[in-house]
Amino acid sequence: MGTASGIIKALNSGVKHIATKRFTFRYPEQKLKFVGDGYQYDPDSGVGIAGYKGRHILFHDKCTGCQLCSIACEDIAEAIAMPKVEEEWKHNKKAIMPQIDYGKCVFCGLCVDACPFYALYMTNDYELSSFTKEGLIYTPAQLQVKPKVDQDVEIQIDEKGAKHG
Amino acid sequence: MSNQVYPKDKEILPGLQIEKVDDRIMTLNVGPQHPGSGHMRIIIKVDGDYIVHTDPDPGYVHRGEEKMAEYRNYITNIPHLERPVIHDSCNILYPYCLGVEELLGLEVPERAKYLRVIAAELNRCVYIEYWLAIYGIFLGHSTMFMWPVGDRELLIDLLDKMTGARVTHAYFVPGGVRNDVPPNFEDVCLRQVNYFEKRLKEYADVFYDNPILISRTKDTGVLSREDAIKLGTTGSVLRASGVDFDIRKKEPYDVYEELDFQTSVLKEGDSYARSKIPWLDMFESCKIIRNALKKMPKSGSVRVKLKPKPKGEDTEVYRRVESGRGALGMHIVSRGTPQPYRLKISVPSFRNLIAMPHLLTGEKLGNMPAVYWSLNYWPVEADR
Ligand code: SF4
Ligand code: SF4
Repeated sequence: MGTASGIIKALNSGVKHIATKRFTFRYPEQKLKFVGDGYQYDPDSGVGIAGYKGRHILFHDKCTGCQLCSIACEDIAEAIAMPKVEEEWKHNKKAIMPQIDYGKCVFCGLCVDACPFYALYMTNDYELSSFTKEGLIYTPAQLQVKPKVDQDVEIQIDEKGAKHG
Repeated sequence: MSNQVYPKDKEILPGLQIEKVDDRIMTLNVGPQHPGSGHMRIIIKVDGDYIVHTDPDPGYVHRGEEKMAEYRNYITNIPHLERPVIHDSCNILYPYCLGVEELLGLEVPERAKYLRVIAAELNRCVYIEYWLAIYGIFLGHSTMFMWPVGDRELLIDLLDKMTGARVTHAYFVPGGVRNDVPPNFEDVCLRQVNYFEKRLKEYADVFYDNPILISRTKDTGVLSREDAIKLGTTGSVLRASGVDFDIRKKEPYDVYEELDFQTSVLKEGDSYARSKIPWLDMFESCKIIRNALKKMPKSGSVRVKLKPKPKGEDTEVYRRVESGRGALGMHIVSRGTPQPYRLKISVPSFRNLIAMPHLLTGEKLGNMPAVYWSLNYWPVEADR
């Protein structure tokens, strides 16, 4: 290919793209949508359920304080500690529940795979930044809260190109 | 002038030898603070504009992955083993999972095999797009930085739907994959992969047919077929020098045998050919994904249930796969404990790095970025 025609071809391609829609989106105002409510695991069948691996959610009415999640994480990130909780549950005699340090967690979800009582799942919440290190440690009470998600942007493809909308 | 052979003598493969430096020769340190070097240093000796000696100095991001693996069991090894190449994390876990499955005697369900191939091919494209973006910016072509990074998002979105994470997926496990894909994933995947392929064709206009790129990369850093084999290079570097070697074809694993694709081979062996092979590979990856989606069983189990701390037999295995950079192998020695006794990762990046002194010596300094990044080299992976 000649030098001139090559350059003209490259310029042409650039001109064509002036009219196409922008692919990026404005992040804090718009947020990407994920499938489902987050990664879950079914201990009966031994298979996970697809979903985003974000901040965990802990169901206090199911957690027995068996510590299996904390043992699973021991070799990975040592992110899970098992502090005492105030509440009293019949199924949780020791009254201990997981507390997760998001300064250490790598969001692998293997603790979810380890929980045999459907008590620990993950959610779509990924905005966990904090000004202090202590702010990254989520107590059992904080982990119980269902996150508010307003994620609605998806990739859309038509003849003119792809965009987020 | 030193004793260095100059201009380039094809017969001699320079290694890390020490040589006399006189008044004409100046030593330059490229890196280790990433001025287009990655997390590594290249010690270059220049005579005016020409490079007379190259000494790559990797090791700045060594993490001790192999040693760490000896203290973790076969499952908890997964999250840290994918760290060396987070952009290609499925492909670095692939040989590990194949090896552990052989150790534990697991039979992977059919649907899981297809899901693995799809995830691995999507991941290969994600890696190559990222690599291409950096190659573009190395050469001062900022459009070629923006486009691959943008188009990569199409595939990251698919992987995100599939695995639940954008880069470090932790999706492969010994015995299958972590979870099945969400409903109507097939349609979304097909649509986005088809669009991605359409976009790939446009790269030719701005990049691969661009005379400026061609003038900078054609006939620079030529690696002959013989040298490519002698130096033990792999992957795109080897295939750009005219050797048709792809593990997916030569030692097919999982379901690659049943899928329809070709390997891309070019004869030239220069930086241009090396930069083009990964791009051609992406077309094949799109083909594989479409083919796998068609042939995949529509339902079925995707994961074998494992005991919490599975123990391997007293034996050793070696398995390798074709990653985004080339042959990636894992040698696992088991002594009947839940942890591997020894895990050796044979990475393609390190093997392609060996070609660097050979290619750079005799080149102009200005051609250094074009040659260096065309080696499809990922510093973090080389250091492990
Ligand atoms: S997601 Fe992984 S790193 Fe995070 S707490 Fe669970 S096991 Fe530990
Ligand atoms: S979350 Fe699950 S694994 Fe962890 S202590 Fe509670 S019941 Fe046990």
